[in-house]
This record gives sequence, C-alpha cells and structure tokens, in this order.
Amino acid sequence: MKRLRVDRLTGHLLVARPRSCCSPASPAAVALRSARPDHCIRSIRAQSTAAAAQQVSEVDYLSESKSAFDPTELPSPLPNRALQSAKLAALHARLSLSPKIPLQALARTLVDASADEHPQFNNTNLAFVGQTIINYHVAEWLMCRYPRLPMPIIWEAVKAYCGPAALFQVARSWGVEHAAAPGGEVDPGLLQFSVHNPKPAVTLVGLGYKRVEAEPDKRHWRRGISNRVVFDDDFGNAVDITPNTETRLDLMQEDTSDQQTEPVYTSYGTHRTREIAEEAHATFVRAVVGAIYAHCGRESAKAFVKAHILSRTLDLARLFRFAKPTVELATLCAREDFDAPVARLLSETGRLSRTPVFVVGIYSGKDKLGEAAGPSLDAARLKAAINALKAWYLYSPGDKVRVPSDMLVEGAAKWEPAHIDLGEIVTSH
Amino acid sequence: MEVQLTRRPVASCCRRLASSPLLGHRRPTILSPATAAAPSTTTPTQTRHKATASRTKRALNIAPHKSFLSPSSSNTTSQKSTHVIFNPPSAAPSVYHTPFKFLPKTDPRRRANLPANLFASSSTIQFSSTPTTTSASVTALPTVGPASPKKYHLTPEDVQQMRELRAADPVRNSVASLANRFGCSKLFVIFCCQSSPQHRDKIREAIAAEQARWGPRKMAAFQERARRRQMLLDGEL
Repeated sequence: MKRLRVDRLTGHLLVARPRSCCSPASPAAVALRSARPDHCIRSIRAQSTAAAAQQVSEVDYLSESKSAFDPTELPSPLPNRALQSAKLAALHARLSLSPKIPLQALARTLVDASADEHPQFNNTNLAFVGQTIINYHVAEWLMCRYPRLPMPIIWEAVKAYCGPAALFQVARSWGVEHAAAPGGEVDPGLLQFSVHNPKPAVTLVGLGYKRVEAEPDKRHWRRGISNRVVFDDDFGNAVDITPNTETRLDLMQEDTSDQQTEPVYTSYGTHRTREIAEEAHATFVRAVVGAIYAHCGRESAKAFVKAHILSRTLDLARLFRFAKPTVELATLCAREDFDAPVARLLSETGRLSRTPVFVVGIYSGKDKLGEAAGPSLDAARLKAAINALKAWYLYSPGDKVRVPSDMLVEGAAKWEPAHIDLGEIVTSH
Repeated sequence: MEVQLTRRPVASCCRRLASSPLLGHRRPTILSPATAAAPSTTTPTQTRHKATASRTKRALNIAPHKSFLSPSSSNTTSQKSTHVIFNPPSAAPSVYHTPFKFLPKTDPRRRANLPANLFASSSTIQFSSTPTTTSASVTALPTVGPASPKKYHLTPEDVQQMRELRAADPVRNSVASLANRFGCSKLFVIFCCQSSPQHRDKIREAIAAEQARWGPRKMAAFQERARRRQMLLDGEL
C-alpha cells in the first residue's frame, strides 16, 4: 500500500516566499495568467523549486517593456500589491499569525476560485489542505470527548463546528469583508468571490465518492448510515455532482423558476447568494488553516483550529431527536444488562389544577437514570427517558481528554486507549 | 325564610378597621339592607399582621438551611472551618452529568466510588447508589406508565390464532379486543397482524368523518397537542 506523504502535499504551495516573491512578481504573474492551462499544470510540477519558475519568468518576460497594464483586466489583484494593503496587514496582525506566513499567502487565501480560476492564484489548493486538517481535528476531538455519540449526531456536530455556516461566522468574526465584485483593482484584503461567474472547473470538494444514484432525478435510493460513512463526505452529505457547465446564475434562476415567484430578497441577497457567500467565506477560513500548515507546520495548524473552531460553544444535547425514547431506553438497558427501566413519580403539584407539574424519574433497579418535570405524567415520563438517553450518549471521559494527534508531538506521554463504545442503540433510516 | 347572616372577612391589611367599634357600626350601612337591619352579634376578632418594620424584620429572619451549617458551627459559632458548601438550587438535572450506572467500567469515577464518599453528606443530591437509604425508598415510589410489567407469554401459535381472528372479522376482533383477549398490549397486536386495506380505509374514513364534525377550536386543540408531542420528542419543550 502506497503511503501518503502529507508533508509533501503542500510543497508547491510554498512558492510565495516573502523574499523571493516580491521583486519579479508582477510580470511573472501577468505572464502566467496569459498562459494556457496545460502549461500551468506543467509549471506546477516543475515548481518543486520555486527558483525554476522565477528563471522562466526572468528570461521570457523581464525583457519585455514594463508597459503599464490595466489591472482591471486581471481576475484578482497581483501578489505584490498585498504588501501595500492595510486591511491585509491588519488581518495578519489580528489573527496573530506567524511572521513566517507572508502577506502574499494571506492575500491568496482571500481569492476564491469563482473570482480567479487559476489554481496558482486562488485558494482552492490551500483550502483543500485546510479542510482536511480542520475536519480531522474536529472529528477526532468529538470522538474522543464524546465517545458514545451516534453517527448522525457526529455529522451534525462536525457540520456545526466546521461546516460552511459555522466557518462563515468565524470569518465574519475575524472582520473579513468581501468585495462587491472581484477584479485586479480591488484591495487584496477583501474576500473576492463572484456570484455570477460560471462554476469554476476546479472547485473544493471534500473527500468522498461521487455516486450516480444521487442524481436529482433518481429518488428513493437506499442511503443507510454505513453507506454514508463510506461514500459521502465529512458531513455525511452526498458529494455534489451537479455538472460544471451549469452557471451559478443559472442555479439562482432555477431556484426562482421552481417556486414561480420572485426571489426572496433579504438583507444579504437571496438564499442562493447567501449560500455562495457562506461557501466562499468557509473556503477562505480553510485556506488560512492550509496556509498555516504549509508555512508553520502541523502543531501551529492544530493550535489555530483549537483556538478558532473548537473553542466555539455547541450544545450537543440539542441535536438529538428521538422517535420512541422509552423503547430505545429499554433496548439500551437490555443490551447493557441493566434492570428494565421503571418510571417512578418523585413529586407532583396541582394534579387537579390547570397547570400541574409532575417530576418523574426513571430507575433501573435502584439507580436513577434520568429525571424530568412535565405537565402530564406521560410527558414527564417521555422527557425523563429522553434525558436518560442523552445522559448515555453524552458520556464524556473528561474535558482534558487526549486525542491521537497529541501523540505526534516529540516526547508525548504513553497513549492510553480511548473509550470505544459499542455503537448506536437504535439506528434510524 | 330566614336570611342567613354571613360576616364578611375583615380586610387583612388594616387591623384598626376590624377592631374599632365605631367603624364596625358604620360598616353595615354600606352593605346590603338585610345586614343593616340585623344587629351585629359577632365580636370582631383581633388578628396580628406584620404592620411594623421590626416585626417584618423578625419574620424574615429565617434560620439558614442546614446544608449551609458546617458541623463545627453548631458547636462554636466563632470557629470558622474551611469546608465546601454544596447546595445547588433546585433545577433540572443536566444531561451532561452521567449517571453512575452509565459510567463505563474503565472510568476512574466509577473506580473511585465518588458518590458514596463525596456526596454522602449532601442534603440535596442523593446518589442512588448509596445503598442504605434508597433501597427501600425507591421501590416505595409510585410507578408511572404501563401498570403491569411486560409478560412474554404468547407463543407463535397464539400469534397465528390472533392473525386468523383478525383476518376473519376485523370489526369484531378489533385491536383492543384482541389485546384484551390475549393479555398483551395493543402495540403488540399491531406488530403481529395487519388488517386488510379495505378495513384500514374504512377506519380512516370513519376517523376523517368524525374529525370533519369538529369545530375550529377542537381541531386547533388536537393539532396543538400533536405539535407539542413532536416538540417534546425533539427536545424543544
């Protein structure tokens, strides 16, 4: 089995070095943009050393006259303009990024693929690295911290920590604003994406398999939990297989044509534009993590994820929904060799009044598993069963639980096996 | 016909009004003519209320709950011992506190046998694993829900007979009557037998006809109950 060399994946992303990139940037960049795509791919391969690319640029293009070119013709601002942007320097300082991360790299994380399709000038590659790092750290932390969570809840929790909506909020909390429209003349400190450009040829997709049965015209395809674990992406969603020829604007129009109404305009545009904006902001956050990984290494990226993404509060207890909580609790007790659960009335008030309150506890033998108050005996019993099930699922070995990536540090203490649970009690779907 | 005289209760806020004879005489004039004609036979009783600041202060001066008292403070009040007061307010228990029984075997909290030692003195939290107090009191609590425990007494032959009966005459052998006859729950009958689609359609139509007769308030109440139940299962209530 071939071993993946993760440290080499980002080698070509280190092209934008602080010193080497400043001087020849503008002509080389302009030239590279005009080149054909196949030439670009070749140049990426040849660029395991950044010097080779510079040589090409110096030989071919530096001899040309430095004629004034129109920046508005470029899809995104030139890298050397990053050094003059106050917004970019402020963002770099606000995030307390290491000086090892050049401003040019930070500027590149702000260019979405819909603004600039060139893979050497947009953030797709960095975002892919960042996405794998973020999702890995969130998933391993969740699985070690709450080892009994059912798989659908893990997916939802991962999505709530590092899905597009959450990362959008993270980007907004960093004070990142977006340009009205992308272009070579805009400030490099603004996030640049386009809602009107065609869907770019290379987009950020998660790890997962494209499945033909997920096409919109094929309904009622079997999609179980194990099936989703194997085939779908990190959030348990089917990988998007809408054809690339479709433009984003078409999608917007399709949305409106389905409803046969005018698009609903809110303060942030339509729902579709909001989605596109969320995706772009999330891609930017992922690209920042990718840039940190590329320039500062694994531990810095992990610390950054911990500080900005895992530090967010999520009430996991609110993610649960139960269909038959009493049956599920009885199944759990039978599986774990506990006594069958019995609901007992702990206290009550106002039984004959309009607003009675009953406090019901669920006992297994002599041990109380859950307790809840409700306006009727049945409601209190159901709620107590729900609480008991949540208490089972939300078991945690402690808030200082170690994760597998802690072992990658030099001189880490001996690994103690994490708690591994038997699995779900009742699997729905 | 004799008019029963009833004395109005004295206004609780003013003691002087009740005890003063002058006001007591004047009072019937503003009541009904029947009371005005009859002589006042009952003597006004004196009730004490907290009309002064000192009495109010004294009434509000309640002794602290015994969980706030350290064992040493009862003996000598001057002695200040360092101890932890563990007296949470009465609130719904958090689902993040795993019950003792749900802790895995390898968990250090289980091994350390925390509840027996640490919270034994707490008056508000009673861990059910402490064997002395709860063994008798838990079983004494009234149970909620299905009255009888589940019996697993039906054989495959019984289930077969149940299916035949249900298929033969679904009206007479309704789910409730079959559950009564075989001594099982209605849910178990539904698990076992499925009636014909015609019968189900008929039942559905009957329910729809019944609901069509409901007024808007009854229908709203019905829908509200269903919504509340769904909210309960979703953890929103």
